[in-house]
Amino acid sequence: MGQEPAIALRGVCKEYRREQIKIPVLTDLKLTVDEGEFLALMGPSGSGKTTLLNLLAGLDRPTTGEVVVHGQDLAQMSEGQIARWRSRNVGFIFQLYNLIPVLTAFENVEMPLLLTSLSKRQRRENVRTALRVVGLEGREDHFPRQLSGGQEQRVAIARAIVTDPYLLVADEPTGDLDRQSAEEILELMEQLHREFQKTIVMVTHDPIAARRASRLLKLDKGKLVGDVIQAQEVAS
Amino acid sequence: MIPIKYNIRNLRRRWVTTTLTIIGTGLVVASSCILFGMVEGLQQSLRVSGDPNDLMVLRKGSTNETSSYFDLSKVVELATIPGIARDEKGRPLCAGELVNIPVCERANGSRANLIIRGMDPISPALRPNFKIIEGRTIEPGKGECLVAKPISGRFKGTRLGETLKCGERESYRVVGVFTAGGGAAESEVWVDRNDLARNTQRTGFVSDVQLRAASAADRDAIQKTIQTGTQFNLLAMKESDYYADQQITGMVLLVIGSVIAVLLSIGAMFAAANTMFAAVKSRTREIGTLRALGFSRFDVLLCFLGESILLCSLGGLLGWLATLPMSALTFGTNDFNSFAEKTIQFRFGPLVFAVAFAMTMAMGVFGGLFPAIRAIRLDVIKALREV
Ligand SMILES: Nc1ncnc2c1ncn2[C@@H]1O[C@H](COP(=O)(O)OP(=O)(O)OP(=O)(O)O)[C@@H](O)[C@H]1O
Ligand SMILES: [Mg+2]
Repeated sequence: MGQEPAIALRGVCKEYRREQIKIPVLTDLKLTVDEGEFLALMGPSGSGKTTLLNLLAGLDRPTTGEVVVHGQDLAQMSEGQIARWRSRNVGFIFQLYNLIPVLTAFENVEMPLLLTSLSKRQRRENVRTALRVVGLEGREDHFPRQLSGGQEQRVAIARAIVTDPYLLVADEPTGDLDRQSAEEILELMEQLHREFQKTIVMVTHDPIAARRASRLLKLDKGKLVGDVIQAQEVAS
Repeated sequence: MIPIKYNIRNLRRRWVTTTLTIIGTGLVVASSCILFGMVEGLQQSLRVSGDPNDLMVLRKGSTNETSSYFDLSKVVELATIPGIARDEKGRPLCAGELVNIPVCERANGSRANLIIRGMDPISPALRPNFKIIEGRTIEPGKGECLVAKPISGRFKGTRLGETLKCGERESYRVVGVFTAGGGAAESEVWVDRNDLARNTQRTGFVSDVQLRAASAADRDAIQKTIQTGTQFNLLAMKESDYYADQQITGMVLLVIGSVIAVLLSIGAMFAAANTMFAAVKSRTREIGTLRALGFSRFDVLLCFLGESILLCSLGGLLGWLATLPMSALTFGTNDFNSFAEKTIQFRFGPLVFAVAFAMTMAMGVFGGLFPAIRAIRLDVIKALREV
């Protein structure tokens, strides 16, 4: 490890086409992220934050340029390969949690493990561990509608970490939460960064949330306009 | 694979549309089951002997038993033709029978023709699965009768121990109830041939002879002997030819039934597709999430196709089960040969099951296919942006 960056973007452009008109969203991005960094991504609405996150997570492909994550050039992979790669290497945290309403907390967290070859028993063990990390042991049988927003997001985080992925991506994870719950979620993300050395990329509109990260990127009109290494607040 | 409990719980969650779709597909399957239950019952009743070597001997010029009669002495002669099959006691399977079709009163007070068959002691051996299920067989000359199970209770005086009266002269005490594998005999009352001859003043005559050849070659030879020689100069028909008219009825019913079943299935397919399209639409973000987590397009296809098949199977199963109790029912129809009441039992056998299964699968697969294709064509990123 060490030498190789967790994420390397070179000359990344992304444009959408709408009726012959090209809409450039990201232009000539260059970015290197080291393993174990906790990155916050800020910028005005429509600046391309979600688009960039989708490229890193292997959900989308750049129009031109290279996206290398964990040594893999994502542009070279077929759709099937990239889906499999995602299931092993990326954990997703969404603004609206995106839990499956008809499945219990346990079953939601178990979903990504159904794509692995783990036995039922191993799966149960991993799910229990993940739920313990997010502080939801004893809530296994609750359905999403029986949980608060903060708790739902914890379940979503448990689902994101249950496969022990290389990279965590979070798109406004606290955007739909009250201050108190948001603090708890950020605390949890910081813990994942500190204790488990996860590489995390988090999009946020909230400066207080951004301050938790180890590095702050600013995006405007598809260009990187700021890149600051932040001093880590020492946890009390 | 996305677990099936995901589909089951989603069906339960939108239980109103699920219930409506189940009722719709259930009704479609049930009505087709009833239709094909009739077809299968009719086919069964035509499977009179199950033995292709059976011949029916009539007077030349007759096309049915009612208009046929010839001398009783010919029965004895016919029994001596070489090549006739024999029962375990060595008796030739050759039965001279006398048929009368009087008007009798039904249990509900209306009137209908009823076949009274004057039997030969060997007659039961020429019917498939002839079985006395209640009481005993008749003793000759005592005015007793056997009643087919579907007839018993359908006409006045046809229950065990009662006395069946047809017109002034005929009166028989019911001593037994029989079944005959759903064959034509199940619409008949069997009496002693001599009793019937006496009552109808036809002593010395029979209407026809039923006989069974030992082999197909024997059958053809016997048929030739009876029809061409001067000795008999009678008509010998294969049973399948005799019932050809009704087989055509059966075929017509089968074709009509199939057309109706196909049309109904297509209708139900649209209902299922509609339900599934709504399901895909309301779960767009969920589909995007599943794809992001790494589930493939194929997983998603299987998931929605499976849900559609599950939905239609519930309806199909319900429709099929709902019609099963009808197998205890019989329906009356007119026999084109004799104009006598012919009872046919609904039969929910392999044909009906196959139809129900095929319809269910067709509805599930074709109803679910297009919604499932829509689900897998969703752009993951756009689906995730859906609120
Ligand atoms: N599929 C698409 N087709 C066309 N244009 C798109 C598509 N997806 C995104 N865009 C455009 O790309 C630009 C960047 O979108 P993106 O979602 O990355 O912004 P964002 O920074 O995440 O904004 P927000 O803070 O509102 O989430 C927007 O102008 C958007 O309209
Ligand atoms: Mg966004």
